Amino acid sequence: MENSVLQLFPAVQRPFWEQTAIKQKELREIRLRIGQPVVVYLGNRELFLEETGCFTENIADAKYMERKELEDILEHICHYSLYAFEDELKQGFITVSGGHRVGVAGQAVAENERSIRAIKNISFLNIRISHEVKGAADEILPYIYRNGSVRSTLLISPPGCGKTTLLRDLIRQISNGNTFGEGMTVGVVDERSEIAGSFCGIPQNDVGRRTDVMDGCPKGLGMMMLLRSMSPRVIAIDELGSKEELETLRCAAACGCKILATAHGENISEVKARFDVSDNVWKQLFQLIVGLGKENDKCKIRRMWEECSGDA
Amino acid sequence: MLKALGGFMIFAGSLGMGFWYRGQFTGRIKALRLLQTILELLCGEIRYGRGTLPECCGRVASRVPQSCGKALSQISEKMRENGGESFSDVFKTCMEGPLKEMPLTKEDREEFFLFVSENGFMDGQMQMRMIDTSRERLEEKSKRLEQENAEKCRMAVGLGAMGGLLIILILC
Repeated sequence: MENSVLQLFPAVQRPFWEQTAIKQKELREIRLRIGQPVVVYLGNRELFLEETGCFTENIADAKYMERKELEDILEHICHYSLYAFEDELKQGFITVSGGHRVGVAGQAVAENERSIRAIKNISFLNIRISHEVKGAADEILPYIYRNGSVRSTLLISPPGCGKTTLLRDLIRQISNGNTFGEGMTVGVVDERSEIAGSFCGIPQNDVGRRTDVMDGCPKGLGMMMLLRSMSPRVIAIDELGSKEELETLRCAAACGCKILATAHGENISEVKARFDVSDNVWKQLFQLIVGLGKENDKCKIRRMWEECSGDA
Repeated sequence: MLKALGGFMIFAGSLGMGFWYRGQFTGRIKALRLLQTILELLCGEIRYGRGTLPECCGRVASRVPQSCGKALSQISEKMRENGGESFSDVFKTCMEGPLKEMPLTKEDREEFFLFVSENGFMDGQMQMRMIDTSRERLEEKSKRLEQENAEKCRMAVGLGAMGGLLIILILC
């Protein structure tokens, strides 16, 4: 039962979701919209659910989600204490036990131009099922190490390629130790709870025995806190997003930490153009930049750049 | 001799009933105060820790007397097991036992369960307000009972003694 998708639903709805739970290994997303058909994504296939909970490709046979049902699901996910997830709901998602993420959408109550106070009348849920893939980093691991030491590495790929899954496995293998190097302390700033999938502060995904996780914390702040208190040898972040985060990474690197980071982009030029910082900054930060892509549903290395000496 | 013994036993029995009723009156006030304490502790946990209701029950469990504490612990445990039941159902089921053992009326129990009948507050303030409403109703009730209690207790013991004497007189 633990980590089963069934735990996301109240008892009265569980018979309906049993078929979906059986296919959990292939399940990517469950989309719930009030007044719309219930949609699930198994692998790359979009399927609907009938009233019995069975899969169908025919939308005419699909069950339509009712308001009360969606509200009951949301209440159950929040342990009947929506107020306790006020901050997460403002961000637009909740992480639940098992590391799954539930995205929410509805009517935003704006506080000012830059922030919202709350989301009310939540009518859309996107349940993204977490899958950790142990061994996802096997292909890249030999390149991360040089002379038994981790090299600061940036992973670049377009969305949906699996770089977070790869990063998670990389963190785990570096933390636990492997044939290329001994285990070392890794500090993870998991701003969107996607890497460790922490629930009540406890990682739901295996991120290694020497890993400390700062969950739900802005990256810049989280990195400084980890540096000051947890003495990481490696710091890992997902989705490098701003110049300020780059700056904080430089401080971390100056403290002797190695960096593992990911960024959205097709290639290194696109990423560099987005941040608009000099080449020297990139060279100081990362010894290795890896471009990733998707092949046969798996994340593969497309290209590598070694910042000190050109292509790998 | 036997008559005197019988008379004494009748008197002791009816006086005992008078004391029992007194115990029920004071026992009810103590029980109401315990329920208020539980609600205050839950409020405190939400205010400072923003924990979910099941988590708050778990944390409060060690700070209340045994039977209620055990029930709160059970609530937290059952919700963690995630059998799919609502918090409202689990809370009522687990607390029903200890509350039945206390000298509380059905109305007292309903007022205690008031805050779980309304779920889905997205705002911590509203959730605490709901719990406070239950607590205030119970507090109002216990204050009223305290005022009436002194007289009722004297009356209960007095009536018990008088009743016993009356029965002895009738039988004699």
